[in-house]
Amino acid sequence: MTTLVQNVVDGLGRGSTYALLALGISLIFGVMHLVNFAHAELITVGAYLAYGLSTLGLGWWYLVPAIIASAVLASMAVEITAFRWVRNSSPFTLLLTSFAIERLSHALWQVLVSPKKQTFAGPGWAFDTWELGGIRVEVMDVITIVVTIVVLAITALVFTRTLFGLAVRASAEDFDAARLMGVRANRVISGAFGFAGLLAGIAAALIVMRSPTAEPTLGSDWLIKAVVAAIIGGLGSFSGAVVGGLSLGLAEVFFRSYLPDGTAQRLTDAVVFMLIAALFIVRPAGLFTVKTAERV
Amino acid sequence: MTDPTWLRLGRSLGASAVMVVVLFAGSTLYTATGGSARELLVKELLINLMLVLGLQIFIGNTGILSFGHLAFAQIAAYTVALLTIPVAVKQQQLPDIPFGLGTMHLGAFPATLVAIGMALLVGGLIGIAVVRAGGIAATMITLAVLFVVDQLVKNWQELTKGAGGLSSVPPLGGTLGLWVGGIVGLVVAHWFAETRPGRFAVATREDEIAAPSLGIGLFGSRYVAWIVSIGLVGLAGALRVQAIGSTSPKQYTLDVTVLLLAMLVVGGMRTPTGAVVGTILITVGNEVFRQLGDPKRLDIDRFPDLFLGVTLLAAMLWRPSGLLGDIDLGAWLRRRTRRPHQPVVRINPIRTASLTASSIGVTFGGFTALRDAHVRVGPGEVVGIIGPNGAGKTTLFNVVTGLVSPVNGTVRLGEQELTNAAPEEVARAGLARTFQNLRLFGNLTVLENVTLTALVSAKYRPDEAPIDVAWLLQVSGLAGFEDRTASTLDYGNQRRLELARAAALSPEFLLLDEPTSGMSDDESIEMVERIRTMGAAVGAGVLVIDHDLAFITMISDHIVALGEGTVIAEGTPKDIRRDPHVMAAYLGSEARDDAAAAGDE
Repeated sequence: MTTLVQNVVDGLGRGSTYALLALGISLIFGVMHLVNFAHAELITVGAYLAYGLSTLGLGWWYLVPAIIASAVLASMAVEITAFRWVRNSSPFTLLLTSFAIERLSHALWQVLVSPKKQTFAGPGWAFDTWELGGIRVEVMDVITIVVTIVVLAITALVFTRTLFGLAVRASAEDFDAARLMGVRANRVISGAFGFAGLLAGIAAALIVMRSPTAEPTLGSDWLIKAVVAAIIGGLGSFSGAVVGGLSLGLAEVFFRSYLPDGTAQRLTDAVVFMLIAALFIVRPAGLFTVKTAERV
Repeated sequence: MTDPTWLRLGRSLGASAVMVVVLFAGSTLYTATGGSARELLVKELLINLMLVLGLQIFIGNTGILSFGHLAFAQIAAYTVALLTIPVAVKQQQLPDIPFGLGTMHLGAFPATLVAIGMALLVGGLIGIAVVRAGGIAATMITLAVLFVVDQLVKNWQELTKGAGGLSSVPPLGGTLGLWVGGIVGLVVAHWFAETRPGRFAVATREDEIAAPSLGIGLFGSRYVAWIVSIGLVGLAGALRVQAIGSTSPKQYTLDVTVLLLAMLVVGGMRTPTGAVVGTILITVGNEVFRQLGDPKRLDIDRFPDLFLGVTLLAAMLWRPSGLLGDIDLGAWLRRRTRRPHQPVVRINPIRTASLTASSIGVTFGGFTALRDAHVRVGPGEVVGIIGPNGAGKTTLFNVVTGLVSPVNGTVRLGEQELTNAAPEEVARAGLARTFQNLRLFGNLTVLENVTLTALVSAKYRPDEAPIDVAWLLQVSGLAGFEDRTASTLDYGNQRRLELARAAALSPEFLLLDEPTSGMSDDESIEMVERIRTMGAAVGAGVLVIDHDLAFITMISDHIVALGEGTVIAEGTPKDIRRDPHVMAAYLGSEARDDAAAAGDE
């Protein structure tokens, strides 16, 4: 029983970070049909900024807002300098553009800082544990889950109650129709990138607080999981992205804990990816299908 | 229409030979001036060439992005390694190896064949899912496959010795094996472009809706492309491990995949020439930038990464079709070896079957698009469907051509039941259509657009007398435009090309969706003549949609008027012009009142 609860807490902790990233990916896919493989580079941006500021002796109260702000700005800057120019191209071109940016980001950190991993001091209390009824939870796990819940609640409000949210959802459904109704493409897409950056920035802050390191390939490890989570949920479906992220996190933790030791355990990721491949074969559009009919 | 096999093979070999000579001259010059260490780069170039050509065959021809091809190259590489490493070494390195592989040993050649077979076996199964899914879902399946194989190789240590990889594979001497592989890759890629599956795959890349509507199914040709490309990357993997003498999962990661994709798209993914040029550019550029790095600082990758990122981004922003676009040595040879001939006029006899759609009902969600709609076209007859926007004209067309399934009703061509048939079956049965908003194969030439449907006709309608493509272009007023890229034609010519492309199927009926939309009055009148001539020449009846009453009454023998999803009137053009319902639908409710009053009198 305690292992079960422990696993649920761990899984939700991992899964909520995936969810924040997946939501951003899904959001961007919704407005411009781009699977953004550069999205997790925002984590790297945040991590390097945090590293830079921490060498100046600034505390975490400054670092966290800085990480989030840098991710928002970087996300919008990339949209303006790169994605805007290929907006109407094929999904193929869009995808490879995002790969180019991902590669450039790796290279820039290698050239500007160093290819090596940079470690700095994390907040001392992150790994303190609280004991609740026989279950030990880390402070960081609780923070991650609580922050994610709050952020997702706010996101839901933004999407259902604000004009911006409505415009984004309308654009995700049918961009041309949305434009005819007076939605401004540049603003919506820019805003979507900004919002996706905000979510990624929050995820980055949570990740860096837990593991205060910066290295060029930091984002890559998160990227694939986030993309997969977004796809499980059905690209363009916002609730799908959250469900996808949480279930991926839970699946990972549970497989690791219940698969027999040895080879099988080492194959956790392989099993997870196999299940995902199987999911696509059964339901190519993901669990939460967003209908996009092509007019003939 | 189709050149004889010797000519097509000759062109494939010729184009490949030119490239091999250039590559060989370049690399001989390079190694001769700098010692044997430089052979490494030549090896890398040849390996990349095979892999990129493999990617070109699938990605370039079908337009489906795959991240998974390296997984099959890796499978082939490990198969070769496990079969060729000497038994004594194997027992020492892999004491717990399963499947009795510990005592198995093969020579280089049989091991290579078994390896390609393994890649094809696994790839063939996965390919069914990939090709069926299509689009972004296909891309994601291949991504998952890449990771599954990567994780299996890294973690199934009894079999693979884990992330460190396997060594002690008996090496092939020199670069001969790789040259053979490179030549095979070039010939296969060029040959594939000359085959019917290759050309059909290109049609599916150009338009996923138009291709089936002209009889080209999405699955068949794409699956052939997949199998051929997997075979080639399998060969590449098998040769690579033997050329280097070792293999490790580091050679088959997503990063390497992106590098190879960059080679493919920077040169131009649609043609073998583009793939070759891109491979040379990026492989050489990568090496140049690697030399800039400082090997002592562990950072020899940073400059190549920078180079790759900048090159790929620049290509995507400025030349998403690649440096060469559609420039291709093979295509150039095809144009040069085309034998001009006098267009052959052939007038087909009028056929005997009628096209009938009866009591068709269609709903989209809660919206009823069609209710009890019907239309019948007799042999050689021209029937017009008219109605205001939203009347259900195109929906009725889509039902007849298999793009939309009706909730009730039947579609028949003569005795043949076509209700719920797939679009390609409908087309092969003899219904050829055009589209309201033009769906040409935009990157292909005018000639290739029309020839593709003629190929469909030859394969799936073998009893039909083939229609001469040159004549068809002449009748369409497109003579002299044969080698123009379809998307560069002006609007009127694009419309005419779409009509010619449909007629090349030698169909029983031509289905034309607003063939004059966007045309001037003069052009419309000219189109009336053209449609009538062309229909008569191929012996086909015509079903045509338009909302232009003048055009429809001019062209049709019989007219069906749709309004809000049902037939509101039908009859001769004269009847329709006088029908009160039609006038109401066209001129508004006041007209209806007046017409009703007139009708009462």
